Amino acid sequence: MPRLRERGRAAPAPGGSEPSAVGMTPGAVLEVEDLRVTFRTRLGTVYAVQGISFAVEPGRTLAVIGESGSGKTVSARAIMGLLPRSADVSGSIRFKGEQVVGRSNNEMRDYRGRNVAMVFQNPERSLNPTMRVGYQIAEAITTHEPMDRRQARERTIELLKMVRIPAPEQRFHEYPHQLSGGMRQRVVIAIALACGPEVLIADEATTALDVTTQAQIMDLLLDLQRETGTALLMISHDMSLAAAYSEDVVVMYAGKIVERASARDLFAGVRMPYTQALLDAIPRIDTEPHVLLPVVGGRPPDQSVLRDGCPFAPRCPDVQQDCRDHAPPLRQHEPDRWWACWHPIQGGAAR
Amino acid sequence: MNISVPVQPARWPGSAFVRRLASSPTVRVSARRLLSAIPVLWGVTLLAFLLLNALPGDAASALLGIDATPAEIRSFSIKLHLNEPLWTRYGHWLAGVVTGNLGTSLASPQSVVSIIASRLPVTLELVIYALVLTFVVSVPLAVVCARWPRGIIDRICLVLSMASLSTAPYVLGLLLVIVFAVHWSIFPAIGYTALSTSLTGNLDTMTLPSIVLAIPLIGFYTRFLRADLLEQMQSEDYVVTARAKGVSEWRILTRHVLRNSFIGLLTVIGLNLATLIGATVIVEQIFSLPGIGYELLNAISNRDVPVVEGIVLVFGITVVLVNLLTDLLYGVLDPRIRHVRSRS
Repeated sequence: MPRLRERGRAAPAPGGSEPSAVGMTPGAVLEVEDLRVTFRTRLGTVYAVQGISFAVEPGRTLAVIGESGSGKTVSARAIMGLLPRSADVSGSIRFKGEQVVGRSNNEMRDYRGRNVAMVFQNPERSLNPTMRVGYQIAEAITTHEPMDRRQARERTIELLKMVRIPAPEQRFHEYPHQLSGGMRQRVVIAIALACGPEVLIADEATTALDVTTQAQIMDLLLDLQRETGTALLMISHDMSLAAAYSEDVVVMYAGKIVERASARDLFAGVRMPYTQALLDAIPRIDTEPHVLLPVVGGRPPDQSVLRDGCPFAPRCPDVQQDCRDHAPPLRQHEPDRWWACWHPIQGGAAR
Repeated sequence: MNISVPVQPARWPGSAFVRRLASSPTVRVSARRLLSAIPVLWGVTLLAFLLLNALPGDAASALLGIDATPAEIRSFSIKLHLNEPLWTRYGHWLAGVVTGNLGTSLASPQSVVSIIASRLPVTLELVIYALVLTFVVSVPLAVVCARWPRGIIDRICLVLSMASLSTAPYVLGLLLVIVFAVHWSIFPAIGYTALSTSLTGNLDTMTLPSIVLAIPLIGFYTRFLRADLLEQMQSEDYVVTARAKGVSEWRILTRHVLRNSFIGLLTVIGLNLATLIGATVIVEQIFSLPGIGYELLNAISNRDVPVVEGIVLVFGITVVLVNLLTDLLYGVLDPRIRHVRSRS
């Protein structure tokens, strides 16, 4: 698909408290800058995303890693414009240089599916159980490109072939429950790719699948990315997935980015203790059996309260007094490496 | 029929058509359900018989009136076999039913079957008309309410549904008669014109009663469907998928969510239909419609046991059939059920 590589404008960061860490990203198709999402609920305001910035380039994969509640899914939904009305989004999301935040519902509808598409976590639930899968894919096409039924059917069968579903003519007429979890996720991917989006967000796209299927789906996503040049934003809690499939990694904690690097650099030497804690929690083949796995002690902080100190301070093994007093900003410390920590791990453990 | 225990349906005797029918899962499920309804129906008729017997008075005194002498009543009782013991009478009636004979009315020389046959169409038409009205009004209303929850239409609907649910049908019936029949003379207050006589005349006489039946249902279904639609719009992942495709909210509601909500609605309708049939008894009385409910009240006040028992049986069968139909319709609406069934 010969689109992309148009212009990569980056406006100076609006007066946020955090300096624009990413800055100019030439050629980026999607730029997120100082994105903040707050939810106003009856119990108070929740600061779900607290000023994050990143950019995704065509044909590249950016992994956003973090535990539940770190704000990664909320960020993804903000990019898609799928947040409920109680959410307050500020900052900037630019698609090909054009502002997405503040667009009208109709403009957002046109942008969703056509420019940015999403693959969801649970293929058991993300398809309509009472509708044939062929129709659900065709609907994604006809929503953006008016065409007659026969054309839509042909395109749908092409898409089913593209996501490597066997016997596509037959599958076209089946219902979601007649397909396996992996097949269903392929259908969801076909829906996402129906209009050739420039950005594809995979929100825990393989979490609900078994390991074998997980690898198949990831390989499929990367192959399709190579074919179409789509930028892939991979949201996961799984460090090993990020290590295996992504080029750049962003680690999120409590609504903030705490470390950012290329996958190679990051796994060669982690700087932020939180990232290290996540890595340590992965079971390894050489771990002695029947030994408790290390876990990240404590719980993520309550995000309805804004604190002065580092959000990870209460759980951090290397915590010092200055961590409790002032939150470390996300700064570039080495070429292509950012972290938010006063006392980074030196020569952190590689895996 | 000379069928013993059907072990292998394929070996059943009979034409190819009969064999195919017997091996169809739908037919087998239906047959099983209908057979299991027999004890239920028997229980219902027994209960009706005992209740009727427990009421003071009997058919002889009810039919002869208060001026009859004890001697007259006595001879009439013997003529109607009312002097026989309770179980003998019930046994006679049951024996008749098993051989396909529902007996003769005590009050008139007509057979119970012919009475029911002449009255049933009126009630059926009333119920169907009311259901059609309910659907035509409540489905679009619920969709509009769910599209703009807490909007002006939604708020008005909430008030109206609460009002409709809390108004008794006899109050509503009389109110509608005063407004539409007495004040504006749009519809006749009472009376009935058969469908075979005149379509417009029939609709004239059936519209008000159907509205009376439909109004509480409209209130209930609008609320129920609205809540179910909203719930799905807010919590179902497939809705998010549809939104992520760029599908409009309106289209998500009408094409995606409504289908799924109909499954829940069907359950409620199935449960409600028995109540609806009960309500026809009152409505037919108010509007003097010669339906089966009207006949039932007459028969009860006459202590006309065979007619009451016949009608109770018909009501029972209707409820059983409606439940069966509901279950079969699940398969039509929900592909998951359809496929489980065809596999079993």
